[in-house]
Amino acid sequence: MNWLREVARRLRMLVHRRQFDADLEEEMRLHLELRQQEHLESGMTADPARAAARRRFGNVTAFREKSHMAWGWEWIENLVQDVRYGLRILRKNPGFTFVAVLTLALGIGANTAIFSVISGVLLSPLPYKNPQRLVARRKNDSPPNVTYIQKQARAFSEGGGINVQKMDYTGGAEPVRVRTGLVDAGFLETLGVQPMLGRIISPVEDRKGGPHLAVASYSFWQNFLGGDPHALGKAIPLGGNIYTVIGVMPASFAPPTEHADVFVSMWAGDPRGAAQRDLHVMHTYWRLRTGFTLAQAQAEMAAIDRRLAEQYPAEEKERKTQLVPLQEWLVGDVRPALLVLFGAVGLVLLIACANFASLLMAREVARHQELVIRAALGAARGRLIRKTLTESALLSVLGGAAGLLLAQWGTRILLALKPEKLARLSGIHMDTRVLLFVLVISGLTGVVFGMAPAWVAARGDVAEALNERGRSTTASTTGHRLRKILVTSELALALVLLVGAGLLIKGFSRLRSMNPGFNPANVMTMYLQLPATRYGEIPKRTQFRRELLARLNSLPGLQAAMVSDIPLGGNYVDHGFVIDGHPPVAVGGEPDVQTLSVMGDYFRVMQIPLRAGRDFTPLDREGQPLVAIVNEEMVREFFTHENPIGARIHWARETEPPQWMTVIGVVGDVKHSGLDQPVDPAAYTPFPQSNEIWRSWMTLAIRTRDVSSGLVEEVKKQVWSLDSQIPVSDVHTMEELMAVSLAQQRFNMLLLGLFAALALVLAAVGIYGMMAYRVGQRMHEIGIHIALGAQRRDVLRLVLGDGAKLACFGIAIGIAGAIALTRLMTSLLFEVKPTDPEILAVGAIMLAIVALAACYVPTRRAMRVDPMVALRHE
Amino acid sequence: MSWGDDLHRDEIPPGTLYLLILKTLARSGEMHGYEIADSIQQISDDVLQVEEGSLYPALQRMLIKGWVIAKWGTTAGNRRARYYQLTAAGRKQLAVEMSQFERVIGAITRVIEAV
Repeated sequence: MNWLREVARRLRMLVHRRQFDADLEEEMRLHLELRQQEHLESGMTADPARAAARRRFGNVTAFREKSHMAWGWEWIENLVQDVRYGLRILRKNPGFTFVAVLTLALGIGANTAIFSVISGVLLSPLPYKNPQRLVARRKNDSPPNVTYIQKQARAFSEGGGINVQKMDYTGGAEPVRVRTGLVDAGFLETLGVQPMLGRIISPVEDRKGGPHLAVASYSFWQNFLGGDPHALGKAIPLGGNIYTVIGVMPASFAPPTEHADVFVSMWAGDPRGAAQRDLHVMHTYWRLRTGFTLAQAQAEMAAIDRRLAEQYPAEEKERKTQLVPLQEWLVGDVRPALLVLFGAVGLVLLIACANFASLLMAREVARHQELVIRAALGAARGRLIRKTLTESALLSVLGGAAGLLLAQWGTRILLALKPEKLARLSGIHMDTRVLLFVLVISGLTGVVFGMAPAWVAARGDVAEALNERGRSTTASTTGHRLRKILVTSELALALVLLVGAGLLIKGFSRLRSMNPGFNPANVMTMYLQLPATRYGEIPKRTQFRRELLARLNSLPGLQAAMVSDIPLGGNYVDHGFVIDGHPPVAVGGEPDVQTLSVMGDYFRVMQIPLRAGRDFTPLDREGQPLVAIVNEEMVREFFTHENPIGARIHWARETEPPQWMTVIGVVGDVKHSGLDQPVDPAAYTPFPQSNEIWRSWMTLAIRTRDVSSGLVEEVKKQVWSLDSQIPVSDVHTMEELMAVSLAQQRFNMLLLGLFAALALVLAAVGIYGMMAYRVGQRMHEIGIHIALGAQRRDVLRLVLGDGAKLACFGIAIGIAGAIALTRLMTSLLFEVKPTDPEILAVGAIMLAIVALAACYVPTRRAMRVDPMVALRHE
Repeated sequence: MSWGDDLHRDEIPPGTLYLLILKTLARSGEMHGYEIADSIQQISDDVLQVEEGSLYPALQRMLIKGWVIAKWGTTAGNRRARYYQLTAAGRKQLAVEMSQFERVIGAITRVIEAV
């Protein structure tokens, strides 16, 4: 405890420092006066008495300092002094301070923001129980298969599936469509998230003819149940049935891949689908049993696949189960983009650090003389180093603070820009670990490059420094060489980023100029689904569709048609098919074709060109010969050597006898699944000729002169005048759907573009700073040149040549670096080679222009040098 | 902390300043700095001359260690002065310093007389 009391005593002294100094002063003065008094009494005169007293006392100042220092607070006092001094210096050089702080802020801010997003997506654990034990099956599965695997597989402790379907919710003011997760009892159990209220569906309830129970998501509970804590037991009308709410999930819960508003048993929501072996619609997730590895589970699944294939050869022949860890499954798509961004941000950090270092060095070299004189006057080397260190630490702190603001702001911006695929990002905030990491990195840069000059100076030779005015000392030449290297690497790194961004921009513009196969301008789309309860028979649906189209088309200034799934809407149905006269294919091995039902003048409305044959007419209706129109891709793949017009096809695995359809026309290809996706073979058939009972949905496509919201209201009115219980949802213009399809690419491009701009600015500042400093140093030399008759042109060459040499070096290295590094982003590029020479050239030229522009300002200053002034100044 | 350096021009053996101050205070209760210096000088018959200022850093260190406490009082001549007083820890330290000093002196004596 003794040391504790000692610390307390020392602290008390620190607090009452002034009082302490005054006391000591008084004590010593008393001592001196008493001694003087003694001498006076022994007969000395006043002055000698005082001198004698002082002699006996010793060096008053030294003893005062020693007494003060005994308490051990010297370092704090020095620190305060250094900080004050440092702040004064920084205030005196606002330009330098601003650039240095900005450099750091950009480096720190951008890095933290990006890394926060990356760690949020790639590194942070999923919000489920023991998420590292969860695996996903790559392909969807059917409910009976899920049940089978649950019973058979020993490698899984739990498992389950979900299929999200939109269902009508008619409990509110307007009928709306809510995303309903059709699940089996295992699904919520497997993810292991406890409901916030109530409970989840139990295995006993999840059966054929089981009760209609619903588990609400937090947002559904808030929006439709009023956030009522007593909502349990409430009855809600959903998809034409009444469900009882038995639980509410917490706000943090969401199914792994897609959002769902409410969860119901598949047996309740879609009893027909729940029993269907070949309806592979469920995303399935499995939890590895303790002691089992992914490989073991994979092996067991292979065996189960074989058994299923033996039992159900028609449906389950090609299972090929592939299990993936859930985390990998979820981030797989965005990982390459995020990693490239991460690399880019690392380069920006490097550039920022190089810039900071070179700024510090320039300044310290300029202050070399001052430092050497201080050292010569007896300043301890430690103290000198501490002083410069304090200054760079101050800069780091200021830059860090500014960076912190920027990071917070940047993270928010990134989240606002995020594409759909990064939906999980909603829970991301700025990552403090990252912030600390970047702060430390930039702090270290400050320390290393802030300290080096003081170190050199403290050893420096005063005479030399004073004679040469600190110009050509060893310190400044090594410093200059180092700065050259730093600036060159900055330029090179900036070029790598520029080229990367250029490639993405080129890819993006290629993608944008892609012909989607239809004309998206002025087309409005809306989704409708006819409830099975009231539209169980196909003729009733056909009647509704026909009547709706007739009413819509009677409105002035628009043309309406419908299609089962709109291009870029994210959905389509595949059918296996058989061509009449082609060699027979084994059952289950038939090729797939995208199957779309249309009604009205769909191809005219969408402006999809007819390439051969004829379009559908109102006469291609129920009771008439079955017809189909195929796309060009279908012709390329399946009718290589024959005329498709007049050919006959039927869907595979249909009831006997097959319903043959005659191909009557060929239309142009449509980018149905995304602008960057290949076109699949597609077949269009008239809605009234479909005998598929499940085809109960449709998307309206309405071409009009102006896509205003008034139109939407008008369409809703028409729909509800036919049936007031049918929700109109997914209202988008075709152009919006195009934009969504481009979102990920735009995100990549914007970010990398931003970084490239950042890098360009930083590199420009770097080369400007160095050139300005060089010109300042060579003022004298330039003055002599001019005095000796050099023309402005010669000065220009002298100074600019310096900068140009650096720029050329930087660009050469940058090109090599770009060729080496941009290969890593191949997967992000749409129809652009990573070594696109055009982009390389544009990037290099741009960098060269910026670098020369940055050199121009100091060069102009050099050309204006008045030789008389320059020489006299020395 | 190297006391020897501070006192290199003095005639008191290095490292004994604490001992002298502690002993002086132990003998006379409380004293201010000037009195301590005077006392050391007089009792030693003017042989030991301390560079008087060096008392003050030493007193500070002893305050930190808790060997002495200080409080302000008035001198006979009615002036404000800081009086130092030994604490229990100070007495203990005095004993330690004494035995150390005697051990060193004893050793030196033996070396000298061994000739």
